[in-house]
Amino acid sequence: MSNDFFILMRSELGIMLIIFFLLFLKVWDGITENKKILQIANVLLLVNFMLGFILNANGELFNGMFHTTNLINFEKIILNFGTLIISLQAYDWLKNHKHVIEFYILLLTTLLGMFFMLSSGNFLMFYLGLELASIPLAALVNFDLEKIKSSEAAVKMILSSAFASCIMLFGISMLYGTTGTLTFVELPHLITGGSLQVLSLIFVFTGFAFKLSAVPFHLWTADVYEGSPVAVTSYLSVISKAAMVFVFISILNPLFENMQLMWYNMLFLTIVLTITIGNLFAIRQQNIKRFLAFSSISQVGFILLGISSNSTMGVTASIYFLIVYIFSNLGAFSVIAIVSNETGKENINDYKGFYKTNKFLGWVMALSLFSLAGVPPTAGFFGKMFLVTAGASKGNYILIIIAALNMVVSLYYYLRIVKAMFVDENKEPITKVTGSTSVQIAIIICMAGVILTGFASVLYDYINSLM
Amino acid sequence: MIQYLFFALSALTIISALYVVFSRNPMHSVLSLIVCFFTVAGHYILLNAQFLAIVHIIVYAGAIMVLFLFTVMLLNLNRETEPHKTNWVKIAAVIAAGMLFLTLIASLKMAGLGTYSLPHKSNIGFIQDIGVKLFTDFMLPFEISTILFMSAMIGAVLLAKKEK
Repeated sequence: MSNDFFILMRSELGIMLIIFFLLFLKVWDGITENKKILQIANVLLLVNFMLGFILNANGELFNGMFHTTNLINFEKIILNFGTLIISLQAYDWLKNHKHVIEFYILLLTTLLGMFFMLSSGNFLMFYLGLELASIPLAALVNFDLEKIKSSEAAVKMILSSAFASCIMLFGISMLYGTTGTLTFVELPHLITGGSLQVLSLIFVFTGFAFKLSAVPFHLWTADVYEGSPVAVTSYLSVISKAAMVFVFISILNPLFENMQLMWYNMLFLTIVLTITIGNLFAIRQQNIKRFLAFSSISQVGFILLGISSNSTMGVTASIYFLIVYIFSNLGAFSVIAIVSNETGKENINDYKGFYKTNKFLGWVMALSLFSLAGVPPTAGFFGKMFLVTAGASKGNYILIIIAALNMVVSLYYYLRIVKAMFVDENKEPITKVTGSTSVQIAIIICMAGVILTGFASVLYDYINSLM
Repeated sequence: MIQYLFFALSALTIISALYVVFSRNPMHSVLSLIVCFFTVAGHYILLNAQFLAIVHIIVYAGAIMVLFLFTVMLLNLNRETEPHKTNWVKIAAVIAAGMLFLTLIASLKMAGLGTYSLPHKSNIGFIQDIGVKLFTDFMLPFEISTILFMSAMIGAVLLAKKEK
């Protein structure tokens, strides 16, 4: 038992160790220089990321409260990787911030919550993980302590996420009321589709839709993304969304197998609304963070399209697309982080003539946006193609046609920014910005990911082999 | 006997809950909410969950309600300071809530819940049994909640502390 404990829970234990190490570092107060703390944190995160690859094991602990498989382990590695990139990207912003250690403690507790959520074998664990992943996030959103917009975003975030948790908890309580158990092993046989269980499916689904910011539960997204610091915005739009998608995959079909038709119809409606409304609102945005918020809403719609196919292929495509999405979105956010940190400009109009002054960053941004739009040489194309193919396997062609039409629309607004950067004239373009070495490392990793993951079928096959 | 007690408690709970919503004076709302919490604690005792009842009174009627009272007193809730909603929003809210209510009633009616019988073990809600459960079956959630509290505390201190 003791050996199992350390091997199975090593990702969680690793994160916990880092949290407590940083806590002691704070209390000890021996290292006051921010740069050193940041370097230590980055090295620790790198070690933690590496740790995920060794000693892989399947099994369960604590009477099935906690379980892990190869797939869950891989999902944790993805989340670790994304957090590492965001940590590298936040270097410039954090090096002048007063509360660096607190930032990492809060960030890693949310990551820990996501890990427990992924590994949960019981709705109680799942709910605790969800709360652990969302309450500290509100404090993170407010991390630009002197900005009033940041506080506003934090209040909106905590209220809407508390509301979503409540609704989900209501749904879970109905499941408990009708079945008398909360464990994921026993529930699938007991969920038969009685009227209260239908209601509980709706509530649980709603809670997930809130967290995934799927339309019509997306209203908090744009304000929160705009108000929070760039590093936190990228964390919200990539890591916490990826974690929710992973959990959604492992809960929706395995638990509600007997109600497939019902959740497929709900998902169908949500997908159509999410992709369309996300796109339509993205066209109108002037702030680049708001723009990426709406673009991420429509991307979630595509991921749900993969999930709706309810097959191994769909799940593989969703996870594959999420990896690509992490690379491309973080690439775009790295550029925004550098620009926002050095000039404070966040409007799309400010990016006019960006290419003339910043050749490299211009290309990085363009490639990331191409990948988000799904233009062929980049990985985003393959990701979207797999998703749509998986979605088509269900034979619902209305859905596929709507998705395809929306891809055309999305091409328009992504290219609008590329045009602003490369073609438009600007009297006062953003001056030459470089960013520190660690941000550049993050950018290079992201760009390598955007270009290479599309051609390397190894990754797709690997995910497929984990099912 | 228990049945009469149940009906009396339920009636009191519902009346006080309604008073919370309909009372014009926020102070009266808060006070009747305390009554509501006490009657719910009475329900817990009827269900043989003594520990839950005590915790419910200590945490809700004690700690949380004191906070509520302070907030109500400090905020000075007047008619003028309250944000006004347009009639359309009100109508939409009423329709949406009414539909949810209807759905809830309908699904409860269709579910055909069986009759409830008291649990066989009479000591199921005792502190000792809960403690044993907490440290055996529910060990992991119990420990994780400590991390949750720690991070929430760090976040709260971070936000509340005045910058020098």
